[in-house]
Amino acid sequence: MSDLASFAVVSADEVVVGFLTGEIDLSNAKELEAEIEGAVPNTALGMVLDLSALTYLDSSGIRLLLSLAGRLRWRGQDLVLATPPESRCRRVLSLAGIESTVLLETTVDEARARLRGPSA
Amino acid sequence: MSESRNLPDWRSDLVRSIALGVAYYVAAQLSLRLALVGENITPLWPPTGIALVGFLLRGRRLWPGVAIAAFAVNLPISATAVAAAVTAVGNTLAPLVAATLLLRVGFRPQLDRLREALAIVFLAALGSTLISATVGATTLLVSGAITQDQFPGAWSVWWAGDAMGILVVAPFLLTLTTIREHPLPHGWKIVEAIALLGLLIAISFLSVATSLPILFLVFPVLGWAAWRFQQPGAAPAALLISLFATWAAVEERGLFAGQSLADQMFTLQMFNATVAFTSLFFAAVVSERLRSRRELEEAAAELEERVLERTTELSTSNERLAEAQALARLGSWDWDVVSGAVNWSHEMYRIHGLRRDDGPITFERAIELATPEDQARIQATVARALQERRELIPDIEYRIIRPDGSTRTLYGKARAIRSTDGSVKRMVGTVQDLTERRELEREHRIAETLQQALLPERLPQLVGISLAARYVPAEEGSAAGGDWYDVIELPDGGVAFVIGDVAGHGTEAASVMGQVRMAVRAFSLEGHAPGLVVGRVHDLLRSLYEGEQMVTMLYLVVDPTTWEATMVNAGHPPPLLLDPGGGVTYLESPTGLPVGLNWSLPYEESIARLRPGVALVLYTDGLIDRRDVEVGEGLERLREAATDKVGMDIDHLCGALLEALVPADASDDVAILAARLDPVQERLSLHIPADPARLRSVRRNIGRWLSGHDVPKQDAEDIILASSEACANSIEHAYGPGEGSVDIEAKVSGGEVTIVVRDAGRWRTSRNGDRGRGLPLMEACMDSCTLTRGDAGTEVLMQRRVPRSPSA
Repeated sequence: MSDLASFAVVSADEVVVGFLTGEIDLSNAKELEAEIEGAVPNTALGMVLDLSALTYLDSSGIRLLLSLAGRLRWRGQDLVLATPPESRCRRVLSLAGIESTVLLETTVDEARARLRGPSA
Repeated sequence: MSESRNLPDWRSDLVRSIALGVAYYVAAQLSLRLALVGENITPLWPPTGIALVGFLLRGRRLWPGVAIAAFAVNLPISATAVAAAVTAVGNTLAPLVAATLLLRVGFRPQLDRLREALAIVFLAALGSTLISATVGATTLLVSGAITQDQFPGAWSVWWAGDAMGILVVAPFLLTLTTIREHPLPHGWKIVEAIALLGLLIAISFLSVATSLPILFLVFPVLGWAAWRFQQPGAAPAALLISLFATWAAVEERGLFAGQSLADQMFTLQMFNATVAFTSLFFAAVVSERLRSRRELEEAAAELEERVLERTTELSTSNERLAEAQALARLGSWDWDVVSGAVNWSHEMYRIHGLRRDDGPITFERAIELATPEDQARIQATVARALQERRELIPDIEYRIIRPDGSTRTLYGKARAIRSTDGSVKRMVGTVQDLTERRELEREHRIAETLQQALLPERLPQLVGISLAARYVPAEEGSAAGGDWYDVIELPDGGVAFVIGDVAGHGTEAASVMGQVRMAVRAFSLEGHAPGLVVGRVHDLLRSLYEGEQMVTMLYLVVDPTTWEATMVNAGHPPPLLLDPGGGVTYLESPTGLPVGLNWSLPYEESIARLRPGVALVLYTDGLIDRRDVEVGEGLERLREAATDKVGMDIDHLCGALLEALVPADASDDVAILAARLDPVQERLSLHIPADPARLRSVRRNIGRWLSGHDVPKQDAEDIILASSEACANSIEHAYGPGEGSVDIEAKVSGGEVTIVVRDAGRWRTSRNGDRGRGLPLMEACMDSCTLTRGDAGTEVLMQRRVPRSPSA
């Protein structure tokens, strides 16, 4: 509905890689959460969410990420966020003080590797 | 007649007088040969008839000719010249008096009426001749030509001769003079005439030549002549018979053989009189009957012609009515409430998809044609009209189902006709087929609704830029277009102005417009350069519509900090620039081809530096295109119309331009988007409805305002986050859905940015434990953050020091 942000699945094998662009705020967070969760099949190991192109993220967005991680964990799946150190998202995660709460990697490849890591 | 034109009246009269005298004299000499008494009394005296006809046709002033001729005739046979003269006077007076009397009673020479027959018999033949007979016989007596005993015989023979002369000769001569008025006999009629003549001569000859008394046999023949030929047949026949009879009497043959003179005379006169009367009356009666029959026939024919004419007129007007009904899709009906008979016009059947021979229409059957949901409505309307005895029945729009299953929308008007007791006896009405019109209206409404729905619901509230827009759909019935406009707040703080026109019309154009508008938005928000945005839209349209869908558009991005405008024009009219310092000009730039067609070239960007205070007007061609005006002229008209509106409020400007340039019955849609660039303010003041969708606009406005004050990017982003977060808190916690508003005040002073966010609601405790993240985030972003909750609402005061830019 909203043109504020968009979500796309970039690749989906045992790890689903999702790509978020635009801005996440109160107006679209709930909607996006449902969309993203729906993109992860039960058979997947987990999900990598690429936040490198996300230009804005507020507390609603943080809530989304935490809630999504919780739901996936409940299904036995992990959520790894991929975001460069200087990005807007990294800054907000840091301001909100949840950098250590979520699984965070710099690139999608690292995030994917982290998901596969423990089982390998 | 022709003589009278060439000769003076007296000379032509003299000639005619002499001619008449000569005729009189010759006829007299011939008839004297038939004299029975003495030398001057004959049983048939044609000269009197000739004189009468001469006087009737050529005027009584010809009398001297007759008088001289009569004198000349009588002189040799009279005792003295005086006697001859007196006799001549009598002979002249008789026809003169006869002519006078006949003219007095309005005699017509055609002899085709009974009154003419009566007049010639009694006034002329029997009446006037009393003069000549009395004068002549007395003269004979006085001069000693006859004895006193002979006087009655002489008188009666003279009288009879003159009378016969008139009766037998005058009709014949009159017939001759009027023969032209009768149609010439032709074909079998000629044969019949010859046969008639032959038979007449044969009978007459036999009755004279033999002693057989068969003269009476002429009467059927005479009747035949009168019946078949009227006067032109009867008069010659009568003359012929009379001549034969007189000849027979003189020769004492046939009927007259062995009789005394008096008996002969009597018989002859009776016979001639009978012949004359018979022919005259019979012919006149037949003529009269024929004429009245002809008049009757003519009247009937005229009547028939008029009836035919009226019928033609009537059927022509009926045809016209039917044509008019067919054109208007208007049928008419007539319902006799008492008998139940329903009469439908031809168009009525056509509208309902029925044929006249499908069986009689009844009220019930007509009702059943309506859709089930409309049947009850119609019945109720009719029942109310019947019950309330009203003449006016409310119009009703309803739908019917044709036998072929198709549905039509009809509009019915009806009127009741009441009888004297007030009850409704008849109802008449019309039914118009509105299906096509309703479909067109529906189509137009859908297109218009779609168009309106696809246009921005409201323009964003921009700090430093005043905005106004108008969309005027085309008149109903004409093509509603795919015009659109949009204002997009770009992630980098810039503002994109878009205006465009999708080729085509109706719902299709409107839906393409919706797609293009969203594509432009999406590509813009991805942060692409203007040329690339338009290029991507072009590629998308090409792939969606295979190069078949053409769209003209203008994409103009304004950087509110530098006032730099970057524009891409894809086949669209140039934007108008209203500069308080420099008048009205067009923002010219290289114009590329419309997007969506099958070609591939990069879209060129052109850059213009604007100044605060200028207004930009973007529009679609509906504003400048007129059928009677060329494009260049249309642009000039727009420029002129804007000249005296440079300083005008931007919203009024849009209205004034539309009023000046777009007629009420515009055939094309018009979209206008106007923007005025305002100088950067020290203070920022925003007022938004409590709607999460407005958060983005708050961020953009604060972002532009901050960049206008040269606040570094990282600081600006934190301030924006804190502000948006504070607004989100208000929206989420202060109000229920869709109510209230939020005020944002911002100011820069002394290297410190202050943001105040106020709402009028009462913060409620969050049901979601995570909600508590907002306030710490705001505190993390700002140097200080104070939340004050009161009865009037909640206020969040936030401050952050920012590095001062050297230029500020």
